[in-house]
Amino acid sequence: MKRFLTPQGVIGFTLIVLIVGIGIFAPLVIPADMATKMKMTMRLKPPSIGYPFGTDQLGRDIFFRVLLGAHTSLGIAGAAVAISVLIGLPLGIISGYARGAVDNVLMRIVDTLLSFPALLLALTISAMLGPSIPNTIIAIGIAFTPFLARIIRGEALRVSAMPYVEAARAAGTNDAAMIWRHILPNVLPLVIVQATISLAFAILAEAGLSFLGLGTQPPNSSWGLMIQASRDYLDVAPWTALAPGAAVALTVLALNMFGDVLRDVLDPRAS
Amino acid sequence: MTYLLNRLFSIVLTLWLISVITFAVTSILPGDVAMMILGTQSNPTALAGLREQLGLNDSLVAQYGRWIGGMVVGDFGHSLVFKEPIADLMAQKMKASALIVVMSMAIALVCAVPLGVWAAVHRKKWQDTVSSSAALLGISLPDFFWGIVLILLFARTLGWFPSSGFVDPSVDFIGAARHAFLPALALGLGLMAHLTRVTRSTMTGILNQEFIRVARAKGLSEGSVVWSYGLRNAVGPIMTVAGLQIGYLFGSIIVVETLFNYTGMGWITYQALLNRDVPLIQTSVFFIAAVVMLTNFVVDLLYLLVDPRIRMQ
Repeated sequence: MKRFLTPQGVIGFTLIVLIVGIGIFAPLVIPADMATKMKMTMRLKPPSIGYPFGTDQLGRDIFFRVLLGAHTSLGIAGAAVAISVLIGLPLGIISGYARGAVDNVLMRIVDTLLSFPALLLALTISAMLGPSIPNTIIAIGIAFTPFLARIIRGEALRVSAMPYVEAARAAGTNDAAMIWRHILPNVLPLVIVQATISLAFAILAEAGLSFLGLGTQPPNSSWGLMIQASRDYLDVAPWTALAPGAAVALTVLALNMFGDVLRDVLDPRAS
Repeated sequence: MTYLLNRLFSIVLTLWLISVITFAVTSILPGDVAMMILGTQSNPTALAGLREQLGLNDSLVAQYGRWIGGMVVGDFGHSLVFKEPIADLMAQKMKASALIVVMSMAIALVCAVPLGVWAAVHRKKWQDTVSSSAALLGISLPDFFWGIVLILLFARTLGWFPSSGFVDPSVDFIGAARHAFLPALALGLGLMAHLTRVTRSTMTGILNQEFIRVARAKGLSEGSVVWSYGLRNAVGPIMTVAGLQIGYLFGSIIVVETLFNYTGMGWITYQALLNRDVPLIQTSVFFIAAVVMLTNFVVDLLYLLVDPRIRMQ
């Protein structure tokens, strides 16, 4: 526990709690029309006391839009990482535990999938399925799976060769019990570290997809979509891009900071 | 020799798998291509005609066979949007993207290696904090955000570089470099941050080893200990990570090229995806994955050249 208490760990964790808190509670506390109310007389106004982050091209309050956008951005990233863990974890464990032909075939496919840039894979899947929030989640989730499966497989391979696994086998433990009781618990720390780091990448991926119009669709709002909308007004109103951009950066920064510390604590070999 | 033959076989097998996955993602996923192109309100006769023209009525195996058969003899079909042979489009766009990918890799390496070494040498001092914090910030910002900041700063405010467009390097080299610079920098900044972190951790590990202590004990200058003894051993790992990042770069070019209206592979892939130009999507996705795979293969070979220990095995 003490090793979490580095400046980096504390700042990262505090920021994550704050941002996740905003993601969960902002839609409950802030009336939805605060972010959608258009005021044509207040178009593209710079930050002021009434509008801390300024207003966008439709005169909407960017401050509230950023706060409410957290819900979509974090929700999509979280669900996408959950999908990639749900698929990648069993794949990785089976591959690393079974070894031999199963491992060869699975890892050949995973390695091939790794040749596809994750963002390209996500964009293609999203474009083929038709852009929407659930499809964005599926697209990012699938695109991140090969990477997770590869890393988990390596760890499962290492754990499977441990003396205590040998001992359990000698004692007559069957495969299912072995995986459940001995392999899975020892692979989990690495999964937690990788999931945290993947979450950072998923936020960036959602922003990238939405920026290209193949992620979150209006009238829903996310940070990436706000940056996309700001493109045409960059000259006159740079704050329309900077506010959501800073929100993405802060979230990813917090996740990376906490992820680094988490790795130092849970996976000392890697650091 | 056996090693090379094995690798060659593995490349062919992987290329085939790439083609199967590409085809699967673009064909098996739900969605009627003909309807995507003509829209949901289109008349049934036109839909049926287009399906026939695209060969959508054939079995998936027949469609795949036709696609891969054409590719083997260099016929990639025609783009539905650009009305041009896809082979010509790929040749032009690959050249444009190669320029910014190579430039961004060069920018990233030139800055990241000294920064990372500097941080490792001054571990746990202010230099390390500065370099590591900058790197952490760098990996946390999306590429397109860098792109927007660069456009605002260097194109709109200072006017030093154009904010959009592509110029063919064989026509006007200076113009090409000027147009490629900002997109390359947008791509390179994130990469640089990542490589700085890798250089720092690799060098930290190396500088703690016995042979470094021996080199210092022999009375060598600190500069030659760090740069020729330390860095030489870090080249392999840094190169491997840089090679793996080629895949990341080819993902990022889609966003960055679109932002800068730089007409390379990323831009054309995006146009293909937006317009549901399925033949073009299939070929450009296949090409990007193939280039990423082949680059990683070349990096593996280069590793053999820089690290004699691996050659022995």
